[in-house]
Amino acid sequence: MFQNYIKIAIRNLQKNKAYSFINIAGLAIGIACCLLILLFVAHELSYDRWNPQADRIVRTYADINFGGNHFQLAVTGVPIGPDVQREISDVQSYCRLRNYGSHLVRKEGEGTQNFREEEVLYADSTFFEIFPLAIASGEARTCLTKPNSVVLSRSRAEKYFGSAQAAMGQNLIVENESAWKVTGVFEDMPANSHFQAHLLMSLNGNREIMEATQMWAMSNNFQTYILLKEGTSFDTFSEKFNNLSRQKIGQTAAQMLGLSLEKLEATGQYARIGLQRLTDIHLHSDLDVELGPNGDIQYVWIFSAIALFVLFIACINFMNLATARSAHRAKEIGVRKVLGSTRGALIGQFMSETLFMAFLSLILALALASAVMPWFNELTGRAIQIPWASPMFWGLLACGVLITGFLAGSYPSFFLSGFETIKVLKGQLSRKAKHGGLRSALVVFQFATAIVLIICTTVVYNQLNYIQNKKLGFRKDQLIIIDDAYALGDGILAFKQEMLKHPGVESATISSFLPVPSNRNNTTFTKSREFRQDNSVNLDIWDVDHDYFKTLGLELIEGRLFDKNRPADSSAVILNETALKNFGFTDNPIGKKIYYLESEPKGDTKPSDFVEYTVIGVVKNFHFESLRTHISSLGLFLDDSRGLITLRYKAGESRSVIAALEKQWKAMAPTQPFSYRFLDEAFSRMYQTEQRLGQIALIFASLAIFVSCLGLFGLASFMAEQRTKEIGIRKVLGATTAGIVGLLSKDFLLLVGFALLLATPLAWWGMHKWLQDFVYRIDISAWVFVMAGLAAIAIAFITVSFQSIRAALANPVKSLRSE
Amino acid sequence: MIKTVGLTKIYRTDEVETTALSGVNVDIKEGEFVSVMGPSGCGKSTLLNVLGMIDSPDGGDYFFNGEEVGRLPERKRADIRKRNLGFVFQSFNLIDELTVYENVALPMFYTGAPAAERKQRVEELLEGMHIMHRRNHYPQQLSGGQQQRVAVARAIVNRPKLILADEPTGNLDSSNGDEVMKILAELNAQGTTILMVTHSQYCAEFGNRIIRMLDGQVVTENVVKQYL
Ligand SMILES: Nc1ncnc2c1ncn2[C@@H]1O[C@H](COP(=O)(O)OP(=O)(O)OP(=O)(O)O)[C@@H](O)[C@H]1O
Ligand SMILES: [Mg+2]
Repeated sequence: MFQNYIKIAIRNLQKNKAYSFINIAGLAIGIACCLLILLFVAHELSYDRWNPQADRIVRTYADINFGGNHFQLAVTGVPIGPDVQREISDVQSYCRLRNYGSHLVRKEGEGTQNFREEEVLYADSTFFEIFPLAIASGEARTCLTKPNSVVLSRSRAEKYFGSAQAAMGQNLIVENESAWKVTGVFEDMPANSHFQAHLLMSLNGNREIMEATQMWAMSNNFQTYILLKEGTSFDTFSEKFNNLSRQKIGQTAAQMLGLSLEKLEATGQYARIGLQRLTDIHLHSDLDVELGPNGDIQYVWIFSAIALFVLFIACINFMNLATARSAHRAKEIGVRKVLGSTRGALIGQFMSETLFMAFLSLILALALASAVMPWFNELTGRAIQIPWASPMFWGLLACGVLITGFLAGSYPSFFLSGFETIKVLKGQLSRKAKHGGLRSALVVFQFATAIVLIICTTVVYNQLNYIQNKKLGFRKDQLIIIDDAYALGDGILAFKQEMLKHPGVESATISSFLPVPSNRNNTTFTKSREFRQDNSVNLDIWDVDHDYFKTLGLELIEGRLFDKNRPADSSAVILNETALKNFGFTDNPIGKKIYYLESEPKGDTKPSDFVEYTVIGVVKNFHFESLRTHISSLGLFLDDSRGLITLRYKAGESRSVIAALEKQWKAMAPTQPFSYRFLDEAFSRMYQTEQRLGQIALIFASLAIFVSCLGLFGLASFMAEQRTKEIGIRKVLGATTAGIVGLLSKDFLLLVGFALLLATPLAWWGMHKWLQDFVYRIDISAWVFVMAGLAAIAIAFITVSFQSIRAALANPVKSLRSE
Repeated sequence: MIKTVGLTKIYRTDEVETTALSGVNVDIKEGEFVSVMGPSGCGKSTLLNVLGMIDSPDGGDYFFNGEEVGRLPERKRADIRKRNLGFVFQSFNLIDELTVYENVALPMFYTGAPAAERKQRVEELLEGMHIMHRRNHYPQQLSGGQQQRVAVARAIVNRPKLILADEPTGNLDSSNGDEVMKILAELNAQGTTILMVTHSQYCAEFGNRIIRMLDGQVVTENVVKQYL
């Protein structure tokens, strides 16, 4: 019997090639999308789960709102780890990580080539106790205990020394000055970790730790991970931790401000040190100074929803087409029933047909998914692989196909098998089959989804466009950044002078601080020689040189720039408008003094502990952080900061300038790596998540529309076929082609109209929420909806009219004779 | 074999109510060959469908082999149908997706006959109908006469006790029609009861008895003089 079903199924497929193609291809696209996205979601959810103690590890974070600035930091202070271990018995161990950015690293020896290493972390000796990575050489427990010890990942050990064994005991020279001895090699960290490390350097002997304040929430530079003892619940530990944290921060407030924590909080300002679970970091943590880019649970939800939608749309096609085709199969069903087939047997037959088609779709979907996987990985920035060897994967796939086939096949099966024998034999189909209320609802749903996606895509791209074209307060084009400029040593000034001689270079500046991700530093400044919470402003401090304003194209709105002929400018500051407002320098700010506490006071602070700066100018607010945030207080100081050189080049000269730069670099620092980027590209990279979202929305919108159109095309062709006789008679009676096309298209267009009504509020709500991420954002204008609606209607019309026109042009005599 | 008492059937649509059968009493004995005649729209097809249990009556009783079946649920009727009845339609009603062979074999699938028996029986019938050489063709590739012979073969493949035929020659020319009638007559001679609707007096006279209908009622029943 089953064989008989499959035989009929195959013949049906062969006989109706277009129908089969639409059905199988549509479903395959749906399954492939779903598969890719589910793999992505599974990958996102797996972050840090490789760590067998993942559920017992927490990280501390700082949430500080003080002096007009609000910080949420993934880093906290030096004393927190040791204090917590001493005070709370639930703690088994802690580990601090310090990220000083990239380092220039080379093998010890004459003339060895420097490499820039990005994933360098300074770690406490407990690192491997908390992150139990597999050790290739050395002793996990002790390898980070001694000062100037470094532990390498296997790939770095092989890069510098050829093998893990060969690396042991060798020296690496870091930043051309200090020697670090390799005491261990670990296997590369799994890709699904919230941070990556290739060089782990011992924190033993670290100056910053030795000189650090013992106060909490004063200086925040270390990632601190805490491993809880087995059996400790997060909530109980969290409570103990919060008590300790309030007590410690209370001490800080008393010592620094002479205020109780309660009094401070009464002013709306606060400082908190809190806890987050290791397993929440990747998807739920979006703090400053993370160790790497995290994912976002929001996108996991959005992706999952889209995957289900695309699959659902494909299933709807399947159901719609199969049901529409019932007209053609009515006779078969009637005959089978007369001959004794039960309803159950018919359902069985149609189910096996849909399952068979779903199976074919699955094969196609797997081929599709593996073909686009590399490209999908590029899009998501992940390294996901299809787990061909996993039995669980196949099991889930089988279940998925059964469920999909069942879902897609259920409605047509029950619908078709429920025909009344006598009616189908007489060629009477129930009214339902002809008009199909459910079918219309399904088409509305499909197009509503497509329209929502069109609107989202448009809004995301509009926002990105807005970001690209927004007046930022500096000129982001025609700027080249040279990384690791400090590697030139004292040659850096000569390098700059040399480059200024190139006719393509307009100006150059040496500074580690740029309005794209780069060095950051901030401190609290006061308006007088004392520390009070009402006279202090938290200020971003940028050290720049004389050419900074000219090169970046910043606009001065009051006062003057730094002057080479005035040595006193080393204690001058140029503030931005926000800083001005926060200090309350409303009129005539030039000449006002601001102060900061040079070093941590021993005992009480004396007026002489404060250093004075004079305001000489005001720079127009420029977006030095992303457009997601407000422009905060910034002060520009004249000081050495040699991390980067930034050059402004003349239009069209980038190539010759880069060639000259590289030549000059090779001449002055042959063993240092030369690397450069364009500032506008670095700027765009800040919005990579949004760009990805835009691309993904675009792709899925296209797919959803494509699959919906496949379905609409199929439906329209069946409708046209069903109405062949009607069309013939109408034509004989004098209807025009246009009239008939209109007649056939009208119903569909009405449905798309409904879909638009449904989609508009939904899309508006979703995008409105999304835009809240940006302080600087576009308004969603009505034309977006108009355009999306028109696009959907146009697409639907083209799809449907293709069939309608064909039907309308057919020779009526032929269609009538065939009845 | 068949006995009906006051059988009625009413079609209701939104606007009108059509009484297709109003109080039909027929009595058909085993081994008979009964023809039903009457003007178009008088209810012949309706009667055949009700007797064939693919439609249910609205009133009256229908006894099949002494058992009241008019009010049985669809499942039960389907079961009786597939074991006892065979159908031949004016428009053949073959399944386009199946070959000649598969069409004929289909009822045996539903009764669950073993494969070997199925093969033997179908081939025997196809030989008998002279369409063995067309066994792997699809219905669209056959002439009307050939299609109807396939339909007849399908109707009798399960050796039904009763064959219901609704204008089996209606779409055929006279020589093809003749052939189909001869097959039916032969089946009747072998003991199969036949109930046939026809517009042709010539065809009707192949049977032993003619029931004439008018406006949903039986008006006369007359015995056909023995055919030579
Ligand atoms: N599904 C239906 N709905 C409404 N009325 C119907 C339906 N089927 C049949 N009728 C009506 O019932 C009456 C009997 O129809 P039936 O098909 O039995 O006639 P018939 O004698 O077979 O005619 P013909 O010789 O033309 O085939 C007719 O008046 C017809 O219009
Ligand atoms: Mg009739």
